[in-house]
Amino acid sequence: MHHHHHHPHVSSPHATQKRLKFCINDHIDILIEILKRLDGRSLGVAACVCRLWCTIARNDSLWEDLCFRHVSPPPSGVRAVVVALGGYKRLYMVCVRPVLSRLGRRLRLGDSDRVGRVWTRDEVQLSLSLFCVDYYERLGRLGGGGGGSGGGGGGGDTSAASLMFLCKPVNV
Amino acid sequence: MKRDHQESCGVGGGIAGYDTKSGNNKGESSSSMGKGKLWEEEQDPGGMDELLAVLGYKVRSSDMADVAQKLEQLEMVMGTAQEDGISYLCSDTVHYNPSDLSGWVQSMLSELNPPMCLDASGMLQNQHDPVLGSSTVTFSNPLSHKSEIFSGDYDCDLRAIPGVAAYPQPDSISERENSRKRMKTSPGSDTSNATTSNSNSTPPLLADASSSSLSSSSPPSTIMISGNLSEPSRPVVLIDSQETGVRLVHTLLACAQAVQLENLKLAEALVKHIGLLAASQASAMRKVATYFAEALARRIYKIYPQECLDPTYSDALEMHFYETCPYLKFAHFTANQAILEAFATASRVHVIDFGLKQGMQWPALMQALALRPGGPPAFRLTGIGPPQPNNTDTLQQVGWKLAQLAGTIGVEFEFRGFVANSLADLQPEMLDLRPPEEETVAVNSVFELHRLLARPGGIDKVLSSVKAMKPKIVTIVEQEANHNGPVFLDRFTEALHYYSSLFDSLEGSGLAVPSQDLVMSELYLGRQICNVVACEGADRVERHETLTHWRTRIESSGFDPVHLGSNAFKQASMLLALFAGGDGYRVEENNGCLLLGWHTRPLIATSAWKLGG
Repeated sequence: MHHHHHHPHVSSPHATQKRLKFCINDHIDILIEILKRLDGRSLGVAACVCRLWCTIARNDSLWEDLCFRHVSPPPSGVRAVVVALGGYKRLYMVCVRPVLSRLGRRLRLGDSDRVGRVWTRDEVQLSLSLFCVDYYERLGRLGGGGGGSGGGGGGGDTSAASLMFLCKPVNV
Repeated sequence: MKRDHQESCGVGGGIAGYDTKSGNNKGESSSSMGKGKLWEEEQDPGGMDELLAVLGYKVRSSDMADVAQKLEQLEMVMGTAQEDGISYLCSDTVHYNPSDLSGWVQSMLSELNPPMCLDASGMLQNQHDPVLGSSTVTFSNPLSHKSEIFSGDYDCDLRAIPGVAAYPQPDSISERENSRKRMKTSPGSDTSNATTSNSNSTPPLLADASSSSLSSSSPPSTIMISGNLSEPSRPVVLIDSQETGVRLVHTLLACAQAVQLENLKLAEALVKHIGLLAASQASAMRKVATYFAEALARRIYKIYPQECLDPTYSDALEMHFYETCPYLKFAHFTANQAILEAFATASRVHVIDFGLKQGMQWPALMQALALRPGGPPAFRLTGIGPPQPNNTDTLQQVGWKLAQLAGTIGVEFEFRGFVANSLADLQPEMLDLRPPEEETVAVNSVFELHRLLARPGGIDKVLSSVKAMKPKIVTIVEQEANHNGPVFLDRFTEALHYYSSLFDSLEGSGLAVPSQDLVMSELYLGRQICNVVACEGADRVERHETLTHWRTRIESSGFDPVHLGSNAFKQASMLLALFAGGDGYRVEENNGCLLLGWHTRPLIATSAWKLGG
């Protein structure tokens, strides 16, 4: 079987039946390995490619890797808490991404997503705390039918109002 | 007919001042010689100006521009010469015939013989330097370009009212106020001339400490002029808004002083004046001035704000404040850090929150406890809140939400709510405290203790109750301000500074204007302002005191300080860095306590305590 790695996966009508094309979609495990190494933005883009990729990209463990990639293994129990509070994808979108980008910018680093910026334990802690506050606020809204929280920037999810400050653009 | 050449010489002649918007910083002067000057005037060229003649002044129409210019110079000179050249005017009551304006002005000018350079900027800078520090730069720079227009000492605005002992004479003053107001309203639109950029990064625009100059001002700037004038003889110059900003502050302080001296007529006049001045300001200063003016008005007219407002309303306001700026978050995070460290090895913990409100502090603590190495302790929360109208049980609702959260993250949770009008009503026995071997207690108070200072004995009772609770740690967050002094004027001045900084920081929060959050946050602060300024006695609950005061009080009650560690500092710094406008916020450490401030002004202080040995 020939692996035409440099070809993007396209099933061209004139592909010869004799040559078997490598289709990444047939190899989900490889796909996941690749997606695991993407940065947040690319992962989001990948989710838009096709339905299959979308389903895979929604997989929370991908986002978990993204969140904790540059940090030593998080304490046990974090996963249970994060999942309960809404999952890693939400954690990333609502807290981690803004925190990293704001703090990274302040430290004058490059794109903090891509470069191996070390994310310290303190930042982890802060993000988790903010995430918890976010969950708590959403509890309130569900319960009391509260006023709409203005949908912030995070990928379609409406973020709780107390984290609105994270969604505001920072004038650097 | 317009005075064209007035514009060209850059001196706003005050005549239909609308045309002086040539982009320079000069405002227009409304000569007080005649409101006639404000409108289109008809005149017969060469003869006496008709409108002025009606008022008793004889000025050649052809001389008008010249006279106006000289008047401005005169005013400026008088302003700069305040200390030296003018005192003799007070004692030496030589009267000039004001009907011959040209002649009068000329003689005044030559008498004063302005030897001082027109270094208005230097003057202003010196006046405000000790207080403002770096911010004087923003003040003096624009002024240094304006060599001609300088409004001098603002005290003169009232004291320059002609007639012996012009101040204080409530009736004549309010009348003059009214006439002056008439003059000011028409160029009101022109104060948009202001080229001020009260940018977010500049420190608060307050010029102060001329409260001292205010009190010593009775003097020497009164000009004795005879005649049956009904208008103040001093031209009033409205410059760009930075100048008016300083004037605004002075007027606020003057009004407060009038209130303190029970001179209510004067205060009333001044309050109205503030509104006009405030209109010319950029947002933060305008809002602060408006709130303070409203509070002063309430105090003057004795329309006291209702204290017993719906707590859900005040909770909602506080929520918006929570979301807009980092003060409450800072308070919560730093207190939580101290509590977390105190709970490091405990297996059952009990937090007593003196002001539960919406319980926004506790999710973060619970999450940190959940992820504690070794697993979470059993967490018990006792929340205290004010009585609610309509029998709604807000405390229970909050408790329920927290319980849900606790269930989600796997923390054993128990909640109890207590309704109390005042913390002093609380008895430790009610709290169902368990022995210290069984559970570790933390007491938390965010912006609650200062209210107890309104009634005598309240704070002592509460502190002894706290001791009876045998807490491992007590976290206290309070405003860092001295709003509880005995003298009203001092309180007012302090509050003006404090809330100006706060409003300034709100402006810098990067929220799109207008924004509901911003408005509600300002309302939240506005209510505090109202309480500090307008209320007295048991109603005045916003009795903020500085960290030093609290330290003394708490230590003498038998507590020892606990230093907030570097973790708290780091968390706080990171939190602040997340906020837009984060450059303006500063975290400081002071003997183990953390202070959050805006630029150089500390605003909030967190401290932690344990039972004394």
